[in-house]
Amino acid sequence: MSQFRSKKLDIGGFINARVIRDHTKRKVFEQYEPDRQALRYIIRNTSLPQRVRAQAQLQLSTMHAYTRPTQIKNRCVAGGIARSVFRNFRLARYQFRMQALAGELPGVRKASW
Amino acid sequence: MSFISPYSCLLRATRSLQLATASRTLSSSSRFRIVADAKFPVVPSSNDKLQPLTQSQRPVESPVKADGNSSVETPVKEWANRLTDINFNTRLPRSVQALYLRPLRRKAEYGLPVCDLQLRSYSVRNLEFFADFAIRAAYYLKLPVSGPVPLPKITERWTFIRSNFVHKKSKENFERITTRRLIQIKDGNPQAVQAWLAFLRKHAFYGIGMKANVWEYESLDVGKNMDDTLPAVEKNLEPHLSRFGRQQTETSPTQKPLSDFLGNERLSLKKGPLVKVRSV
Amino acid sequence: MATPYSRVLDLVKVQCRVFSMTFNPDRLRLGNKVLRQRLRGPTLAAWYPKKTVSFRDLQDAVKPLGLTTFDEAEDDREEAIQIAKLRGKGRPKKKRTAAESRSAKKKK
Repeated sequence: MSQFRSKKLDIGGFINARVIRDHTKRKVFEQYEPDRQALRYIIRNTSLPQRVRAQAQLQLSTMHAYTRPTQIKNRCVAGGIARSVFRNFRLARYQFRMQALAGELPGVRKASW
Repeated sequence: MSFISPYSCLLRATRSLQLATASRTLSSSSRFRIVADAKFPVVPSSNDKLQPLTQSQRPVESPVKADGNSSVETPVKEWANRLTDINFNTRLPRSVQALYLRPLRRKAEYGLPVCDLQLRSYSVRNLEFFADFAIRAAYYLKLPVSGPVPLPKITERWTFIRSNFVHKKSKENFERITTRRLIQIKDGNPQAVQAWLAFLRKHAFYGIGMKANVWEYESLDVGKNMDDTLPAVEKNLEPHLSRFGRQQTETSPTQKPLSDFLGNERLSLKKGPLVKVRSV
Repeated sequence: MATPYSRVLDLVKVQCRVFSMTFNPDRLRLGNKVLRQRLRGPTLAAWYPKKTVSFRDLQDAVKPLGLTTFDEAEDDREEAIQIAKLRGKGRPKKKRTAAESRSAKKKK
């Protein structure tokens, strides 16, 4: 959402609209995470009055979608692809292959056994 | 407990290391020279290769001189002669000589482990070299050391589809093998151990990650010591802990009850469109 | 001899106080697992690489000082646009009003 997006581009690497959107979601989630955790704690604490817990549930469910961690999707840093992204390289399979063959990933080489 | 990433310590290999390797190659060749001298005399001219074999075992005489002007006394020594002089009459410093031998070690008195250093790398060459360096450094810091123990390799393999689109059947395999070495310091002074670790970090070799587990031993009155140091620690921590779990932006340090938090407008305001109750 | 339950409770209570744990003999769900969780925000937000300094930034920094810079790629681009314009292949004029855009469609 545009109200969350930073006015100036603050990421490098491959840029497209989906990457920017995902990055925005990540930042918003980071900002609101303590609030979310506090509400979740209230909801799960059975020793609190029922009314308070229901209120907290309502609060949590009315928070903006961008504050939700499930909105975040790992995307390839070099190609913006959202499928088959390897977490420890942050690359999707094809970009990984290209970079590995070019020798840009330390220690990675063609295997044969 | 932090890995120094192999990428970040690019070529911070020290001058001293390079010096060491340089002197190693230099004098290893000279050593070879000594061996060669013992067997055959050094041949200054490339013309007659067979001749020196038949001559005497002394490397001093060059065949050219023996043929022609042997009677003339030359004030300047022959090149080969000078070399043998250097080889026989001088020696390298002991510390440099030690580089050709296995690293020296101190004997552990009690065998109490103090520090575990794990080295990781994708290339065995660098790893072996740096492990050797670490052990030598430990010797000069008077730290008893055990290792390097080769830990099991970590092999990661990935299979990818070759193309970026369809063609599922054509695939390619990649692997990354991490080799590891464990170096353990036994009953060393904690400060010496810290100095050793700092030295290794300073002279970190490219492409090698290091992880150290350091154990510290206390006397039996741990609780008493902790109690003694508590006021100072609390005083230091106070400014941090007073704002523990607060929003960075929030300025008022007053405690607010839960109902206030839930009724807080800040939570409900910044939610964008479709938040306001529709007034129909 | 079995220890009385109240005594065990006392022990647990003291234990909890010493090690600053939650005393919860009735095993109520207090939601403490949420408080124990580590915040994931910083790691998640650090996924994409940070913006680095580009030539454009250098240009912007230098321009107020009255210095000129030479960007070959940018010049090439402008030249190509000029050539395209001369050939009549430049970008169409921006339609400012709804009427203009409608008339443009009608022409076809």
